[in-house]
Amino acid sequence: MRTHRLVAATIVAALGVSLAGCSAGDTADGEPVTIQFWAWAPGMDVAVEQFNSTHPDIQVEYTDAGGGNDSSAKLITAVRAGNAPDAALIEYTALPRMIIAGVAEDMTEYVGDVQDAFTEGTWQQTTFDGKVYGVPQDVGPMAFVYRDDIFSKYGLDAPATWDDFRSAAETLKVEDPDATIASLSTDAWGWYAAVAATLGEDWWSVEDNVWTVNIDGEGSQRVLSFFNDMYNDGLIAADPILNPSYNSKLNDGTMLSWPSAAWAPGVIYGVAPDTAGNWELSPFPVWDEGDTETSYQGGSGVSLISGSEHPEQTAEFIKWLNASDEGVDLLLNESNLYPAAISGQESAISQDPPKLMPQQTDYYQVVADISKNTRAVTWGPNTDVAQSAFTDAMNAAVQNGTPWVDVLTATQKAVYEDMKKQGFEVREG
Amino acid sequence: MVLFLAFTVIPVGYTLGSSFFAMRLTGEGVLGGIRTSVFVGLENYIAVFQNSEMLAGLGRLAIYGIIAVPLTIGLALLFALLLDSPGVRLKRFGRTAIFVPYAVPGVVAALLWGFMYLPETSPFSYITRAIGLGSIPFLEPEGLYGALANISIWAGVGFNMLVIYTSLRSIPGELLEAARLDGASEVQIALRVKVPLVLPALILTGIFGLIGALQLYGEPLTLKPMTNSISETWAPLMSIYRDAFVLDNLPEAAAASNVLAIGTVLLSLTVLFVVRRINARAAR
Repeated sequence: MRTHRLVAATIVAALGVSLAGCSAGDTADGEPVTIQFWAWAPGMDVAVEQFNSTHPDIQVEYTDAGGGNDSSAKLITAVRAGNAPDAALIEYTALPRMIIAGVAEDMTEYVGDVQDAFTEGTWQQTTFDGKVYGVPQDVGPMAFVYRDDIFSKYGLDAPATWDDFRSAAETLKVEDPDATIASLSTDAWGWYAAVAATLGEDWWSVEDNVWTVNIDGEGSQRVLSFFNDMYNDGLIAADPILNPSYNSKLNDGTMLSWPSAAWAPGVIYGVAPDTAGNWELSPFPVWDEGDTETSYQGGSGVSLISGSEHPEQTAEFIKWLNASDEGVDLLLNESNLYPAAISGQESAISQDPPKLMPQQTDYYQVVADISKNTRAVTWGPNTDVAQSAFTDAMNAAVQNGTPWVDVLTATQKAVYEDMKKQGFEVREG
Repeated sequence: MVLFLAFTVIPVGYTLGSSFFAMRLTGEGVLGGIRTSVFVGLENYIAVFQNSEMLAGLGRLAIYGIIAVPLTIGLALLFALLLDSPGVRLKRFGRTAIFVPYAVPGVVAALLWGFMYLPETSPFSYITRAIGLGSIPFLEPEGLYGALANISIWAGVGFNMLVIYTSLRSIPGELLEAARLDGASEVQIALRVKVPLVLPALILTGIFGLIGALQLYGEPLTLKPMTNSISETWAPLMSIYRDAFVLDNLPEAAAASNVLAIGTVLLSLTVLFVVRRINARAAR
């Protein structure tokens, strides 16, 4: 036993020495700076390799920290434990709470020179109080992704308004009773918030350091009761999405659309590649005829994490990845993200459409048009509380058949009281 | 002693200590500055006892425990007695077959059963649908407790059976022979001689089962993405995890952990006390 351990220790030590030897050997002059980077998009490792090969003095080590929620939880713990990465991808919804948790660091002094690479609205997603806490990586302009083949089989167009969506669902229910037009999962708080934002409802807003929480406003109530009625009439489902059950429906053509955002085709292709060619993307339905504005769902930025010993080099990497032509191209092609940078969105127009809809040649033009009319959402410092309260209340409402608008009341109360308890100046909208 | 200090006393002390603090904003600006640790006394404990979700979670846990623990021990005892009775064939095979599920990791077991519960993939629901009865609502509120308990029973029976079986094997042969000479049937021997003699093993497995039930976490967490019936706070440990790592409220999670730990100890002691009482009365 003891000899085994000794052998193991020797091997580990030898490996350590040889690895250290490698990295030192890569550069002729001086020690390269090594920085740690956490993200989760597929293909990010390719971008990191590309950076490492062109920047001999900065070497990035990439870790897939697994999804927005998991990654946020790990970041908080890692910062407390003192072994956090130098840079990490953080969702816009989570950024405010990552700032007050002391995870994301003010990086204004390093990134001012790339501000022009982004539109004002996009840049606002990572700026608070005039301080910049991250460089935007991708945005999710909301869009309607649907089974074009099945819709056209029954003479249906992509719905322009939510009333169209409802009548399409009614037609489909008669023609194809086994199919469901869409499932709005009970944990989709961020989706409902973004949809309410298209009606001008901000769940959080801030003015002169005073926060307003307005989760149960009239617009939000309209949204919830609209989908509640559809659910009660058996027109939509409220089941979890992207689990084995949902995926099998995507594959056998009984889940007909996903009202989501420009990142959805990649996700659907990942679980149902055989259905490629049957899908199309169209603008997100609006509430009233003539409306054009839509909102964002998802999207993330890369932040400098507190405790980093090399903030300058880390910022250089962050800027290269998200604001340089080279980095943005990799985001677009390797990670299939819709880049936040203007140049990336422009070069996207000449791209081939995603693998899920190779026949939709105007795909990126449609996305670019949607993107011009998007309205940024202000996310509050306790989106985690909103998520928990909303999901639990929504589960209960679906199960007990109680009105969905009550979910808003419960979420409003939980979010407001939590902010008050934490010490924010806050009032109810 | 050093190990005990490093791995038990210090973590417990740290948990106790941090449960009296809370993260509060100290500073100015839109986001109110950075949160820092502030002493709040018993506030976290009060919050735990006022948390209706936590109390509801304990209620759900109780229902689950009442289903899972007696069934696990009961089935384990039944199988142990069967294996121990003369004339049963394939003993070695039976023992292994019943024990194998215990070797399956908990998460794998939960996933495996999850697929058997989901209407789209369930072989059971496939059969019931074929004969016109519709899907079995394993993951709906009405079937959920049974579905969860089934996973832990399936995994737990084998181990508990072995404990009881080992205890059965240590019963002196002459005792059983005497009973047989007195004309007792195998069933009578099992109930009147064997069961009282393996009572200590039953109590032991019962207490283990109880503690295991109170620590319910992996199974509901694994099944959660498959159903709306399991909330983020379905079991108390899930609430604690959420407070600690999703809501970044480590102090309240620490307080809840302490409450749960003390509760477990108290419940175990109560059960032991009651069992002793009953035993003493029976002996008299």
